[in-house]
Amino acid sequence: MSNFVFLPIFIPLFFGALLIFFNKKHKLTLSITYFAVALNLCISLYLGYFVFTNNPLVLETGAWKAPYGITLVADQLSVIMILSVNVIAVASAIFASSSITGKMAEHYFYPLFFLLIAGLSGAFLTGDLFNLFVFFEVLLMASYGLIIIGGSKQQFRESVKYILLNLFSSILFVTTVAFLYSVVGTVNMAQLGQRVAEVHQQGVLTGIAILLFVVFATKGALFPLYFWLPKSYIVPSPVVSALFGALLTKVGVYSMLRVYTLIFSHKLELTHTFFIWIASITMIIGVIGALSTTNVKLIIAYNIMPAIGFMLLGIGTFSSESLAGTIYYLIHDMVIKAALFFLVGLLVYHARTSNLNKMGGYIKTSPLLGWMFFIAALVLAGIPPFSGFVGKYLLLRGAMDEGHFIAAGVGLLSSLLILFSVIRIFIGAFWGELKDEPRKIVQTSGIFASGLLITLSIVLGIGAEWFYPYIQSAADNLLDPQIYIDFVLKE
Amino acid sequence: MEILMSILAGTLFAAGVYLLLQKQLLKIILGTGLLSHGAHLFILTMGKLNRGAPPILEKGIKTYTDPLPQALILTSIVISFGVTSFLLVLAYRTYQSNKTDMMDQLRGTDDE
Amino acid sequence: MLHFYIFIPFLAALVIGLAANKVKRIHTGWLVLPVPALLFILFCTKLHPLAEGKAVKSIANWIPSLDIQLSFYLDGLSMLFSLLITGIGSLVVLYSIYYLSRKEQLTHFYVYLLLFMGSMLGVVLSDNVFVLYTFWEFTSITSFLLIGFWFYRERSAYGAQKSMLVTVFGGLSMLGALILLSITAETNSIRMMIANRSDIINSDLFIPIMILLLLGAFTKSAQFPFHSWLPDAMEAPTPVSAYLHSATMVKAGLYLVARFSLIFNGSNLFFIIVSGIGLITLCLGSFMASRQTDLKGILAYSTISQLGMIMSMLGFGTGPAILAAIFHIFNHATFKGSLFMVTGIVDHETGTRDIRKLGGIYTLMPISGTLALIGAFSMAGVPLPIFNGFLSKEMFLDSSLKLGQTTGIAETFAEWIPVIAVVGSIFTFVYSMYLVFGIFFGKQNVEKLEKKPHEAPFGMLISPIILGILVVLIGLLPNLVNEPILAPAAAAVTGDLPHIHLAFWHGFFNPALYMSLIIVVIGALLVFTLRKWQPIYKWIPGKLSTDHLYQKMIYGLLKYSKTSTDFYMTGSLRLYLSIILLFMVAATSVFMYLTDGFVISFNDLAPVTWPEVLVGIVMAAAAFATIFMTQRIAAIIVIGVVGYGLSLLFVFFRAPDLALTQLIVETITVALFLLCFSHLPALKKSDKKPAEKLVDIIIAASAGALLTIVAISAHSSKSFHSIADYFIDKSYKLGGGHNIVNVILVDIRGLDTLFEITVLGLAALGIYAMIKYRDKGDMNQ
Repeated sequence: MSNFVFLPIFIPLFFGALLIFFNKKHKLTLSITYFAVALNLCISLYLGYFVFTNNPLVLETGAWKAPYGITLVADQLSVIMILSVNVIAVASAIFASSSITGKMAEHYFYPLFFLLIAGLSGAFLTGDLFNLFVFFEVLLMASYGLIIIGGSKQQFRESVKYILLNLFSSILFVTTVAFLYSVVGTVNMAQLGQRVAEVHQQGVLTGIAILLFVVFATKGALFPLYFWLPKSYIVPSPVVSALFGALLTKVGVYSMLRVYTLIFSHKLELTHTFFIWIASITMIIGVIGALSTTNVKLIIAYNIMPAIGFMLLGIGTFSSESLAGTIYYLIHDMVIKAALFFLVGLLVYHARTSNLNKMGGYIKTSPLLGWMFFIAALVLAGIPPFSGFVGKYLLLRGAMDEGHFIAAGVGLLSSLLILFSVIRIFIGAFWGELKDEPRKIVQTSGIFASGLLITLSIVLGIGAEWFYPYIQSAADNLLDPQIYIDFVLKE
Repeated sequence: MEILMSILAGTLFAAGVYLLLQKQLLKIILGTGLLSHGAHLFILTMGKLNRGAPPILEKGIKTYTDPLPQALILTSIVISFGVTSFLLVLAYRTYQSNKTDMMDQLRGTDDE
Repeated sequence: MLHFYIFIPFLAALVIGLAANKVKRIHTGWLVLPVPALLFILFCTKLHPLAEGKAVKSIANWIPSLDIQLSFYLDGLSMLFSLLITGIGSLVVLYSIYYLSRKEQLTHFYVYLLLFMGSMLGVVLSDNVFVLYTFWEFTSITSFLLIGFWFYRERSAYGAQKSMLVTVFGGLSMLGALILLSITAETNSIRMMIANRSDIINSDLFIPIMILLLLGAFTKSAQFPFHSWLPDAMEAPTPVSAYLHSATMVKAGLYLVARFSLIFNGSNLFFIIVSGIGLITLCLGSFMASRQTDLKGILAYSTISQLGMIMSMLGFGTGPAILAAIFHIFNHATFKGSLFMVTGIVDHETGTRDIRKLGGIYTLMPISGTLALIGAFSMAGVPLPIFNGFLSKEMFLDSSLKLGQTTGIAETFAEWIPVIAVVGSIFTFVYSMYLVFGIFFGKQNVEKLEKKPHEAPFGMLISPIILGILVVLIGLLPNLVNEPILAPAAAAVTGDLPHIHLAFWHGFFNPALYMSLIIVVIGALLVFTLRKWQPIYKWIPGKLSTDHLYQKMIYGLLKYSKTSTDFYMTGSLRLYLSIILLFMVAATSVFMYLTDGFVISFNDLAPVTWPEVLVGIVMAAAAFATIFMTQRIAAIIVIGVVGYGLSLLFVFFRAPDLALTQLIVETITVALFLLCFSHLPALKKSDKKPAEKLVDIIIAASAGALLTIVAISAHSSKSFHSIADYFIDKSYKLGGGHNIVNVILVDIRGLDTLFEITVLGLAALGIYAMIKYRDKGDMNQ
């Protein structure tokens, strides 16, 4: 059974490699893509089912026992992440089928897409810190390839910055892993957790924890490290923006969630208080960015940050409730960010411009798009009963319960501004007098994919009871790292 | 020795960072090279230097240098090689399409 | 059962949304009308059991794990609101059938309206605070959609956005209050909170909870200084104004205050804030109403002032005041509803809502005129026993007078409050007369109107007539509603049943009556001299208005966002990197300092040997040299020196595999550099200013120093044996290889290697694509 853990990594790897050879056969590529994403989704579903009904799965690759070899660990959090990623993958594949055609497909979109998924799955499954670095590189390399598909000069310009910043943080990552190895003599995460706990995270370990935080916060887009992100996420094709916005930053959050619960959770009053401050600032500054522009794509891109701030707030608060909130918010945000990037992509196509001031009246010409956007805006702002509310509720409640009133207040305020920033798009683009002659939206699969995700986010909210117990159990396992450690090290 | 090597790695790192802050894309790419060298030296230093034989098992030798950092560096070297090559070609294409290799002219605006 | 009631409007909205376009022969309103009518009847059937003290409740699961349950509870207060929601709802739907042309997007209109109806019922029936919050936000959203019904109008969009921002702001602060309440009282049920109220009252969080909750109530009920969204909400079709923005949604704030009254009442601060804001709103709203020229503007400000009055009574908190508040909530819905509908008729028939263009049309529209007179007189509190508004107004005055008999904080203000109440009421009288006489009496200038006005079709008159009859009927026989509706509602707020017999006449020794007379006399004087003193309004600088404040805030927010964001979002890689590096240095150093992280130990170090040191010095020199190189070839050579130097160090430090790999990779990289550099422009001398250079140097040096320090500390605090010992031990036994590094790479950490190759492959794929498609240009077009 434990070999099963490798499948979510292997399937996209295999199909990604396979599709390199069919880059000019669009129909065949699409069929294979649909098959592969569906297969991978089924496998992740089964994996999730198995892990939640039995117990976490540990795969010791090459049969080298933990902590010596690389272990893949499918615990509750990992399978939740894998499952979410594959849901987004299915939606993205559907969206891509009509928007990625011709030269863009020839430019190896599909292989890169699958390798991105492989990298993400690897990052979520690995139980080894250095191996996490390697998977980071896989997904980043795939993202480098994806960001330039289309070949416009803006894309090249922004991708240079994107790559350089990620390159720097990767170098810092690998250096920090080495520092950590020097102190505790291992790179296995479970053993790291065990050993750091044994020495009570004393001495240089907290410094190392902060260096790691810089690495993850750069990837996860926290203040003041996210400035590179908004403009580079809007240059690629909408489906790539959606993949980036929904998934890439979440790797940073996942890593923080893992590392600061399993390994560095012994100086909470220092590190996690610091996180709460960073979270609060990110929530507010990020959304102020979203208010600063009339470029609709950029508005959505800026909205990535407050969401990440919310998630970090949960990590900083470090209670069972707040960690559950972070995980719930993480899932919600993947779904809704992908949906919003899709919708905004369609909107820009429809309007022939991304400048909100030049839009207006599209509710007449594209009502479905308008209403989907409206609901998505409410979901994003955390209006109940949609998915954003549950996570936000848990996070705010957790924060207030632990006495972090300022952070909770900032969270409430930023929710209002988030709503403002997106409802502006709805009012500006869909209300008012009809401007110009909009282009007819022909990408029915794009509309379908967006609808799918929005439906999902409604279900995640209204049907919270179906999901919440799993998320709570994942959070409780994070709160007690010994569970993870015992499973991996079998002591 | 480890302290000296840490300082050397830090120096390489500092030089790399300085180059990274420059305007010209070429210099920045050179900077990334220095950065990875610095990082690799850090990794090697972290595994203690010169404690025994090279990590190739031979009869009669009991102590070997720590093999794990070496393995990690190998992986890292290959990866940074891949990234650097990609970056070089990207620099060339960026220059080709944007007609400049100066970062201060590659800023962009909101309204594109 | 209650679930079903709330569910019906939502279900109807779905059905109407899907099916209405198929039914083309009749006005969609006819399909909708049975919904509120049926609900009204259903609620009426619960009146009797309720009067006997049998509250209706029902619970269903939603998110039991979070204790967010669909638990609904119908007590007197909920009943009052439910009747208003469904009763006025029925009349409004009926009215809208004649008001809204079939050319309008009726399906949208009725779907929003039904969604609103369901949500509003949800607000007043929920016992679970978070379910209440859910419905609360939904009323804001449906209100947003209804205000923006004519979405192509700029004013509609402005009003819709404003109302949403203000009410959602309040909603979110209310959410904060509800979470705090739930934490403090350890329950999500309002009734349980009230039962455990001593926990809340004695909590440190009592005041924050109260203020946050009141923010929610004040924004929703358009209390000062949040009132300015309500006039702008008048862009909605008139049936919506009559329904949401006078009879129901704006009263949700009153509902909230009344609902939690048992918890907060008794707190001095509660009295000061709620009565104070209520009275300010009463005076401000009534004073500003006479300034308006738009009929709906007058009504909007009048609604604000009436809401203020009710709010202040809730603040008084005495038994009679609460009953008066409840009574006025009911009465206001009747007379204001009819006034809105008449205004809609006038607008419909004359084509204008500008009071300056209207006048003297009573003879042309006698029925509407009479209805308006009834409504306005009731609103003004004219002391005649046929106006329900007078009765509740008198109770208001009376309760303000009786504050002197209480103890505590209310006594302190007892002398002032009746005076303020009278002032507010005088202006209420003024605007009521201004409205009704401005439209129906005085000079007629029908010629200038777009249409020649005549009486509205009968169907349009039905609803205002029913409301007008109610005004008079309740005015005559107030006890008709007292026992079944008002008393149970007041009981739900205060906790015990009031025994007050409502009557018009309380004898000559009734100070409230004299107050009423004063109001009428002074009010009448002011009405007659209106023209003379109306210029006062021009002296009030527009900058003081809260609408101006709101606009400034929004403008300021957007402008500030732009300038502050532009400040750091410059697109400059150097800036982004500098910030990241500075953050890294600052944060890490602070934490190293706080945790005593820096350690240096000279034990267990390898001896310093010269060859290594020499190579190191050369490498450092070469690294520095790259900075100053202006020749491409020279730059490549010096960077090559660093790379090859590193391979040498690898040799020295017993890492043969590394040395080899580094050698090969360095060679290829140098070749690649050469290849690429030939396509790139030559190196230029840095044209940076010395200050910029200094900043670069500081950042670079501090980053390098920091990592060195952490490295030394990390090396000096080795606390465990490395797992590498196991590799040395098992490499041959389990891996079958003598070269441990190789065994690690291909076996123990084979997964790393597999994906390292993947990275390489990806890079190759990217490079191949970039080169192959280099001449294709931009593919996005």
